[in-house]
Amino acid sequence: MSVEDFVSRLPNDIGGAAAGPVDRVEHELEPWEKRCHALADVLDFRKLINTEEKRKGVEALGESLIGKLPYYERWIVAFANIGFTKGFFTPTELAEKMAEVEARTADHPKPL
Amino acid sequence: MSSDPHSHGHGHSHYHDAHEAIVSDDAPGYYEIMETAVRELLIAKGLITANDIRHQIEVLDSRTPALGAAVVARAWTDPAFKGRLLENGRAGCEEMGISFYDDTQLIVLENTESVHNLIVCTLCSCYPRPVLGLPPDWYKLKPYRARAVIEPRKVLAEFGTIIPDDVEVRVSDSTAVIRYLVLPRRPAGTEGCTEEQLAALVTRDAMIGVIPVTLNDGAAQ
Repeated sequence: MSVEDFVSRLPNDIGGAAAGPVDRVEHELEPWEKRCHALADVLDFRKLINTEEKRKGVEALGESLIGKLPYYERWIVAFANIGFTKGFFTPTELAEKMAEVEARTADHPKPL
Repeated sequence: MSSDPHSHGHGHSHYHDAHEAIVSDDAPGYYEIMETAVRELLIAKGLITANDIRHQIEVLDSRTPALGAAVVARAWTDPAFKGRLLENGRAGCEEMGISFYDDTQLIVLENTESVHNLIVCTLCSCYPRPVLGLPPDWYKLKPYRARAVIEPRKVLAEFGTIIPDDVEVRVSDSTAVIRYLVLPRRPAGTEGCTEEQLAALVTRDAMIGVIPVTLNDGAAQ
């Protein structure tokens, strides 16, 4: 890709790009992935983060991070970043809450 | 854009481990911890409720392609309903008791002798979720999104679907607020079928437009 291609197309804008054959993969969502999807829907109907803001939030992660993160991982990172900019919570609050969740769940096998 | 859905990079069992039991003794991964933390912070701040999440998981679980299949079968057997459905897809589905839990409109695209429709979301993964449930992974990955709009006949051929040259292929690119559903052609030989029997023939992939509805597919279900 030329530099101009990066200027004219954001990372999500791949319609018409060259790509390999369609591999018909699918999977049942893991419980946390389903919770993440439900969270996205709730954020939308509570008028906190709509679908378009979510998509832009994913785009804002940049091409290389988008390339490294699977689908729901991209969503939750985007929600965290949008949450900071909208003032829902601060980066410190999220870091502390993640440490708390990690400590709480480390010794407890999770049911799937 | 990742073309590899397997690279989660953290420690619990994954769907490609088809021969492993669906259990995990691992602690939750980084992104799962982040999901829990974001959700709990939003609940603590009163922006959402735990019940919102529980309720929405129930809604997601209630949405399967069987809903779309029932709509298709009704359209095949009730011309007046088909007219209303093509006029306003959302209203047609709501008439059958299928609620729309999001702010999306639905356009139903009818396949005919001369037109074959295919739906895609090139930007991400928009999909008629109220009537089909969640999209398959391949719908969300780069090859389908990138190529469906530029070489749809080749993509269809990869699904085993060969569209004759004299049939127009129309590709509709979904957006955050406009979603599409393909109304497939009713297969020959189904004249004596009930609406219920017809619905059993209609697959998710036929309503995406990547395969036709056939009698054989239905028998295999």
